[in-house]
Amino acid sequence: MAPSLPNFSAARMRSYVFRLPLFTRAMILVIVLLWIASYMVDVKQWGALIPKEIGIRGDDTVYRTNTFPLVHAGFFHMFMNLLALTPLLERFEAEYGTLTTLALFFGPLSTIPALLYTFIERGLLGMNTAVLGARYERFCGNIKGMDADKEDSIWVFTLIAMEAVKTYKSNPYFMLGTTQIPTWITPFVMVLFVSFLIPNTSFLGHVCGLLFGYGWGLGYLKFLAPPDWALRWIEGKLNLLGRLPHYVSVDQKTYGRYGVLPTTNPTLAPAGDGIALGYMASDVLLRRNPLLLKLPPYLSFLCVVIGVAWLLLLPLDDYSRKTYISENALLPGQVHTYFAGSDQNVFRGYKHEINALEEKSNIEVNDKLEEFFKASGLKVARQSYEYKSAGETYKGENIYAILHAPRGDATEAIVLVGAWRNIEGKLNRSGVALVLTLARYFKRWSLWSKDIIFLVTADSKAGPQAWVDAYHDTHQTPAIASLPLKSGALQGAVVIDYPFDHRFESIHIVYDGINGQLPNLDLLNTVVSIASGQMGIGVSLQQMWHHTDNYKDRLKTMLRGMMNQGLGHASGPHSSFIPYHVDAITLQPFGEGWQDEMAMGRVIESTFRSLNNLLEHLHQSFFFYLLMQANRFVSIGTYLPSAMLVAINFTIMAIFLWVKSGAVEEDTTKTASTIESGEKKQLVLVQERDAKALVPEEVLTVRERELFLPLAVVAGSQFLGVLPLYTFNHLPQSMLPSTFILFTLLAPLLPLLLSSTLTTYFSPTSQQHTLIKTFSLLLLGLFLSSLATLNFSLAFLIGLLSSPLTYITPLPHRPIIKGLLAVIMGLVAPTTVVLAGTWYWGLELGEVLKEAAFGWDVWGMNTQVVVWCVWWPAWVVGGILLFGRPREEEEEVEEVKS
Amino acid sequence: MNIDRRKATLFGAAAAVRLLLFTGFPGLPDLLTARVEISTPVTSFKRLQEGLYLYNHNVSPYDGGVYHQAPLLLPLFALLPSSATYPAFTYLLYIIVDLLSANALMQIADSGEAGSSKLYTSPRKDKKWSSFAIAAAFLFNPFTIATCIGRPTSVFTTCAILHAISKAVAGNSFTSMFALSFAAYLSMYPILLFPPLALLCFDRKRPMKGQESVYNFVFGNAMAVAGSMYSLLHMSSLITGSWEFLLSTYGVQLLLPDLTPNVGLWWYFFIEMFDSFRNFFLGVFWIHLSSYVAGLTIRLRRQPLFVIVTLLGIFAIFKPYPSISDTSLFLAVLPLYRHVLPLMRYTFLASSTILYATLLGPAFYYLWIYAGSGNANFFYAITLVWSLGLSVLVADALFAVLRDEWEVERPEMKGKEIRQI
Repeated sequence: MAPSLPNFSAARMRSYVFRLPLFTRAMILVIVLLWIASYMVDVKQWGALIPKEIGIRGDDTVYRTNTFPLVHAGFFHMFMNLLALTPLLERFEAEYGTLTTLALFFGPLSTIPALLYTFIERGLLGMNTAVLGARYERFCGNIKGMDADKEDSIWVFTLIAMEAVKTYKSNPYFMLGTTQIPTWITPFVMVLFVSFLIPNTSFLGHVCGLLFGYGWGLGYLKFLAPPDWALRWIEGKLNLLGRLPHYVSVDQKTYGRYGVLPTTNPTLAPAGDGIALGYMASDVLLRRNPLLLKLPPYLSFLCVVIGVAWLLLLPLDDYSRKTYISENALLPGQVHTYFAGSDQNVFRGYKHEINALEEKSNIEVNDKLEEFFKASGLKVARQSYEYKSAGETYKGENIYAILHAPRGDATEAIVLVGAWRNIEGKLNRSGVALVLTLARYFKRWSLWSKDIIFLVTADSKAGPQAWVDAYHDTHQTPAIASLPLKSGALQGAVVIDYPFDHRFESIHIVYDGINGQLPNLDLLNTVVSIASGQMGIGVSLQQMWHHTDNYKDRLKTMLRGMMNQGLGHASGPHSSFIPYHVDAITLQPFGEGWQDEMAMGRVIESTFRSLNNLLEHLHQSFFFYLLMQANRFVSIGTYLPSAMLVAINFTIMAIFLWVKSGAVEEDTTKTASTIESGEKKQLVLVQERDAKALVPEEVLTVRERELFLPLAVVAGSQFLGVLPLYTFNHLPQSMLPSTFILFTLLAPLLPLLLSSTLTTYFSPTSQQHTLIKTFSLLLLGLFLSSLATLNFSLAFLIGLLSSPLTYITPLPHRPIIKGLLAVIMGLVAPTTVVLAGTWYWGLELGEVLKEAAFGWDVWGMNTQVVVWCVWWPAWVVGGILLFGRPREEEEEVEEVKS
Repeated sequence: MNIDRRKATLFGAAAAVRLLLFTGFPGLPDLLTARVEISTPVTSFKRLQEGLYLYNHNVSPYDGGVYHQAPLLLPLFALLPSSATYPAFTYLLYIIVDLLSANALMQIADSGEAGSSKLYTSPRKDKKWSSFAIAAAFLFNPFTIATCIGRPTSVFTTCAILHAISKAVAGNSFTSMFALSFAAYLSMYPILLFPPLALLCFDRKRPMKGQESVYNFVFGNAMAVAGSMYSLLHMSSLITGSWEFLLSTYGVQLLLPDLTPNVGLWWYFFIEMFDSFRNFFLGVFWIHLSSYVAGLTIRLRRQPLFVIVTLLGIFAIFKPYPSISDTSLFLAVLPLYRHVLPLMRYTFLASSTILYATLLGPAFYYLWIYAGSGNANFFYAITLVWSLGLSVLVADALFAVLRDEWEVERPEMKGKEIRQI
């Protein structure tokens, strides 16, 4: 309330002035400055509202409709106007916020009355009276084209009209004798008084302002105000509240923008506290902002959509990069290769021998191979291993030979691997022959500075793992024998997988490691640049035999790579090396072409010469990448956001649900009607120092959350995941498929069972249901974002498949939607997805499960852990929620009945 | 009787879980012992073994610069059969220490000091968890279990601190001071708990005829601490034969020569720092750590127990070699203030942050050390997040307690939103 004379005190006046909000201060300042400026330049000519100069087409004089209220004709004029304007403006600003006031006063509040005035004056009356912000004009006639300068206090009258409407609402009539006179009429009387008593005032201008004020006060013009969300956005972007002193935020404005005004409740508007606002904690109101509370589900959906779209953008030229060699020491393809000529005869000889050994036992083969290696002058050793998995035994014997570097100190080594049988179980006839030939050939050179180990494993899955484990002393004796002979730290490994004996067309590079780890990109780049640059052999990845470098092929390569990475299985003998931080790849020749085995040998030779150059472990280039083609990749910084966005979707919902669970239950229909009927709402006076504000009570109270049951449910489901994990990793192979089918069929019943148990024995409230979902989603988001740093693809795939869980809520009264959701849940169940995947790729379920158990037992693959202990529990909790029946709703129904 | 049975069940279950983990997963103790989150250079069980070996062979345990722990631990562990051959005895010792800590914690909870101290009674004090629940929360906290399996010597410090508090709330100031000096003897930093602990003793001592002034009381206790510290140190010097252990134990804590990564904030700073600034920043870091003591003790004079709780939280963040053992101690005493939990505003944020850091920490450490595809910044970033989560929790708890006090002063403000500026 503005200070009034009877109880005027200097101190109160002072504090009032000091608390004036920002826009009001600015206006006072501008008006005073313009008055000062008017002594120097002709401000009036610049700022006055002269009807003739306002063009319909909006030329540069339109600004006048905004500037005219600021320009005054003299000191007295200005002073009086300030006196009238300040309290009114201050009230308005306090009620609507600084930004709104700014927008309104330089927008509709000035413009509309001005245009109205212009329209009436020019169109109807045909006059041209210039209007300024105030009343005592002095420069009568000295502006060309004007009949007279008339003042206008349009703002003042607009504001007075608004106040009048407010007063009318609380206090509709005042009595004059016995006559009831409506209070809203006062400003009109004032206009009449002013126009009669004070010469040269613009009656029409005042009336225009007044009309607008009434319109605003009655709520017809509210649509002109900028929307709250826009203001909030601007505020948030610019941090206005933090930067500007005396700023009145959108959220700090006094309660009751649409009808219920603070002055209508006299007890709540404390006398003497003019500014019914100040520094009210804006975050309180923000927390319960209805818009913000509706946003998160859309936001989290948006996260998923953007995450997927992001991934689909990656193959474009703008988002992926050309590969390049980071490690300068590698110098790929800079050496001349000499593997040719008579070595071809040696190769043929070895191949002949290998063909002869095809049907022999592992030991006999190794006896022969040992002979060959020894003949080449290398030290040879053997290692036997035996793994048990899913009721089967995998045993065999590895043989390897070490070429000690003539120029090295045996601290580093490179490995050349040729598995006796490749990953498909075919005899690696040319591959092993090539290893033998190269061993003999490499022995003749004196330039090696690193030891070279030639390893022939019995198979492609268990053998390499046994050897690498034993090399790093992490094997489990006595099933896996220790290595009798060792060299230095392994720097790299190259595997040859060449099972046929005809000429080939291109090389297929396999690079996926166990658990989605990848070799350093430099190794791959080296081979690609040697094969395609030096030897002229094409290179392909991920079984994309024909890559035409268009978007589709790139995307396909990338998705296949992600699938391999996500499954985390070994894709070749090289995979076992990668967990030990030994960069390794498998080279598979394919197709019918004119490249012979000597070309393959030269690729290996050149690669080994490059690796031989290395001064330190490969570290320069990327370990996290997605390849879309042999020479195009995306690095982690570019692709990680997509998986993170998918994971964050769960976290956003978890936080949202947490906030929601703390909110007091409110009946929306009741709230709406309260506002419409102007009924008193439970308001609470929030006071901070000398600033007070009115806030609906429910905003402030936070419901006590009952945490125990939700925590127990979520923790229980997490532990439940251990069951399938154990079962499917320890059952014998013969029982695996049938158990899995049984499990798939029974799995949907589990949530139903758990849910009905919960409802019967604990009858959780809807708050507890919300909290169950909160914790489940929080954990899922947590696990997935951690996983995304280790195995991007797996995190992305699981995140995508479990994204429907974000939107599962108990739906006790909507059986159709519930049924629909149950079907969707059934489709994205981990078990269903596994079945669908097996069917899609045409695999045997038993084989897949056997391989998974083998991966768990031998490779240390942990995809299963993620599936059964992260994904499946989240799914089970989703099911519990879907079938859940919150207690409160039932009670409500009963209440209605009674 | 009934309560005792419940207590016995709880302790039995806690011991059974630990025994199961020790025996069911034989690789687990060594795996956890090697984790930097659990074992720090000043608490590591592996280093203790090294010191023990040297001690048993009549070589000074501090030769070689590996062992930085208190000398009196050596005769204790030398009495036990070697942990390599008969690990069961070591396991039992650690389990018993955990149970003793839980017992002390129960005594603290039973005293009701958290809800109503001598000078202050919270209006919310009826809203509390039973001592049984608090002990269960401590014993089944994954951090506590991991600490127990990892066998760092910090569990002895934890036990000593909890006993110091429990004796203090029982009014046994001398025993309390002795327990405090034992904790300080083991890890040094608990000496900073002296001011609030002495005040706690003063508040809880039995009323006597002659009113003793607080200064005299604190002075007497300081003498008690000094005396017991001196006797402990003297015993140590007798055992090791010289006073050189001071430099290898407390010197290491003060001067931070070992920069093995841990969950704290010091190691990375001091790796990056130029040597010429090292001493200056050592001073700054230590002053920072100890500066909280005076301020909190004065501000929260009416609730000395909460000063201790807050300080334990601050130590878990800012001490030179923190581990999750310190966090577990803080999380053990925090539930005593169950009644102010509803006043806390960022519990969800803080607990999510801590959870995230708990998962991402090992993942990033793996990327850095084993996979070689990350670097030290990965892990350090996570320790920052971890510290942030703990700081939010400590600050929020402090806020809640202050708010609780404030509402007693100004009852009309109950339930109203306020904002810190």
